[in-house]
Amino acid sequence: MKAEPAERLDPRAKTLWRISNALGTLPLLAGGAFGSWVLLRVAEVPFLLGILPFLAAAVLVVVFVGAVSDLRWRRWRYEIREDEVDLQRGIFWVSRTLVPLARIQHVDTRQGPLQRRFGLATVVFYTAAGPNEIPELSAPVADGVRDRIAELTREQDEL
Amino acid sequence: MSSEPRHLHPAAMLLDAIKSIRRSLSAFVIPGIAFLASRGFSGRTFVLILLGALVVTVLAALWGFLSWRATTYQVTGGAFRLRRGVIQKNERTIPLDHVQSVDTVQGIIQRLFGVVELRIETAGGGVSEPDASLSALDRAAAEALRREIGGSRREPVETAAGPAILRRLGTRDLLIAGATSGQIGVALSLVAVASQLFDDLGDFFSQDVIRRAYEAAAPNSIVAVLLLVVAVGVFSWLLAIAGTVLAYTGFTLSREGDFLYIKRGLLERREATIPLARIQAVRIVEGVLRQPFGLASLRVESAGYGEAAGVSTTLFPLLPRKEARRLLLDAAPEFGVVPALNPLPIRALRRYVFRSTVPVLLLAPALTVVSSLALDFVAWGLAELLLVLPAAVYGWLRYRDAGWAYIEDRLVVRSRLLARTTAIAPRRRLQSRAVIRNPFQRRARLATFRAQVASGGGGGAYGVVDLEADSAEALAENLGPRP
Repeated sequence: MKAEPAERLDPRAKTLWRISNALGTLPLLAGGAFGSWVLLRVAEVPFLLGILPFLAAAVLVVVFVGAVSDLRWRRWRYEIREDEVDLQRGIFWVSRTLVPLARIQHVDTRQGPLQRRFGLATVVFYTAAGPNEIPELSAPVADGVRDRIAELTREQDEL
Repeated sequence: MSSEPRHLHPAAMLLDAIKSIRRSLSAFVIPGIAFLASRGFSGRTFVLILLGALVVTVLAALWGFLSWRATTYQVTGGAFRLRRGVIQKNERTIPLDHVQSVDTVQGIIQRLFGVVELRIETAGGGVSEPDASLSALDRAAAEALRREIGGSRREPVETAAGPAILRRLGTRDLLIAGATSGQIGVALSLVAVASQLFDDLGDFFSQDVIRRAYEAAAPNSIVAVLLLVVAVGVFSWLLAIAGTVLAYTGFTLSREGDFLYIKRGLLERREATIPLARIQAVRIVEGVLRQPFGLASLRVESAGYGEAAGVSTTLFPLLPRKEARRLLLDAAPEFGVVPALNPLPIRALRRYVFRSTVPVLLLAPALTVVSSLALDFVAWGLAELLLVLPAAVYGWLRYRDAGWAYIEDRLVVRSRLLARTTAIAPRRRLQSRAVIRNPFQRRARLATFRAQVASGGGGGAYGVVDLEADSAEALAENLGPRP
C-alpha cells in the first residue's frame, strides 16, 4: 500500500471540534451535576462521595474535549491522487479508505454555521455506495479540492 | 419505432372496478357499522344495504369501463406514452433510455383471464410505486411491448426460442427450501402473536374450564409444556414451508442476451428482469440448516440509479453448493468463480474467540449482581458462564469459515454470522476499499479489509476481519484502478 496520505486538515479544525465536543458533552456534565445534587441533598451522603458523579463527568468531558479532538486531527489525512482519493482517519480504529475517482458521481462543499465562523468547509463526494467526507478544510482549499476531484473524475470518465 | 395507441385487455375494467369497490368499502365500513349499531338490524336495513351495494357495483363497473376507455399506451418517438384519466386527463412520457426494467406480475384475477400486469420502472423512480403500471395485457401484447421497449435499448439478440431456461426449481427442492429456510423464527413470532390472541379469548371462557384442563395436565405438566413447545415448533415450521411455497413455486431462472428473467409464485405469478449490467455482487448463502446438506441459495445485489435504492434479489432459492459455480457461469459469467479461499492466520483465532466470548463474560457479573439483589438467587450469573463454551465454539466457527481470495480481477470473501456467506464482486464494481486496524490488530499484524458495492440504501459492504495486514494492503492495492 502506498505511503500514508500527505495532506492534513486545517489546524483550526481542532478548535472547532473542541467547541462542538464541548457543546455535545454538556448534557453529560448536567447529568453528573444532577447525580451529585441528588446524592448530596436528597440522600445526604458525605461530600466526597456525593461529588463523585460530577467529577467523573467532568473528567470525561475534559478528556473528550482536550484529547480526542487533537488525536482525531493528528490522524486525519487525505490525498487526491491521480486515480483515487485516499483517506485516513479514526482514533481507535484507524481506517484507510481508497475511493477510485472513476466511481465518484458528484462532489459538494458544505459549510455549517460554526464552520462559517472559522472559515472552514467540508468536501463531500458521492459514489453509488454513499457519501464520503473530507471535513474541516479551509474554505479556499475545500473549493480547490472539490474542483480537482470534479476535474479528475471527468478525465477518468473519458477513458 | 412507433406504434398506434393501444387499449389494455378488457379485464382491466374488472380490475379497476374491484379496486374502486374495495376503496369505497373501506370508506363505508365504519359509518355502516355505526348505523347498524344505532338502528339495529331489520328487513328494511337489509334492503337498504343491498341497494347500496348494487349502486356501488354499478358505479364501479361504469367507472371501470370509462377508465379502460380512457387508458391507452403506445411506444413512439423513442418514448413510452401512457394516457389515463376519466375526468382529469393525464399523460406520462417515459424516454426508453430511462427504462430500467419491465416486470410482470400476475395476481389471481389476472390469472383467471390469462393476462398479466406489466410494470415499467425507470432509473430514479420511486421504490414502492412503479413509474407506469398496465393492469391487464394479454401475453402477446405484453411480449410485444416488452420487445418494443427493450429493442431500442440494445440490439436484440434474436433467438426464436426466447429466453433460455437455466434452471427450474423442482417440487422436491421447493419443499426442502421451505423446510430449511430458517424462516422458522419469523413464523414462530407469528404463532406467538396468535397465541396472545388466544389467551385473550381464554379469558372469555369460564375460568372453570381452564382450571379443569390445567388440573388434568398438572401431573404431567412438564410433558404438557414439552408437547406444547413441539406443537408450536412444528406448526411454525409448516408455516415457513407454506410461505416458501407461496413465493417460490415454479421458480424459473432464464437468460436472454444481457438480461436475466425470474419467474416465480404460486398464487401471484411474478416475473422480474435483471439486466446483467446492473449486478454488483453475487452472494452464495449457506443457511445453518442448509450447509450440512451442501445446499445454498444464490442472491444478487443490483444497483439502484441516482437516489433510487438498489435491491437484493434471490437469483435461485436452493441448489447444491457445488452447482453454484456452473449456474453462475451460465447466468452471470462475470461472477462465475468459486475458488479455494485463503484462510486466516492462526493468530486471528484468538481474536475471534475473544470477540465472541467477551459479551458472555461481561454479562456474568452483571447477571450475578442483579439476580442476587432481585431474585435472591446467585446462580444465574454462574449458570450463564456455561454459555462461554458455546460462544467460544461460535468464535472458532467464524474463524474457520472466514476466508478471502483475489482471483481473475475479482474479490471473493466468505464470512459467517449465522449463515455462511460467500460474496463475489468484480474489481470494477467496487466503490471503495478500506483497511481498518485497531491497536490490538496492529500488534498482531492483522487488519480488517472492507469493500463496498453499490446496493441497497447504504451500499453492500463485504469484508474479512483479521487477515494478515500485508494481505489486506495487497488486496486494497490490487483491487484499485488500473492505469
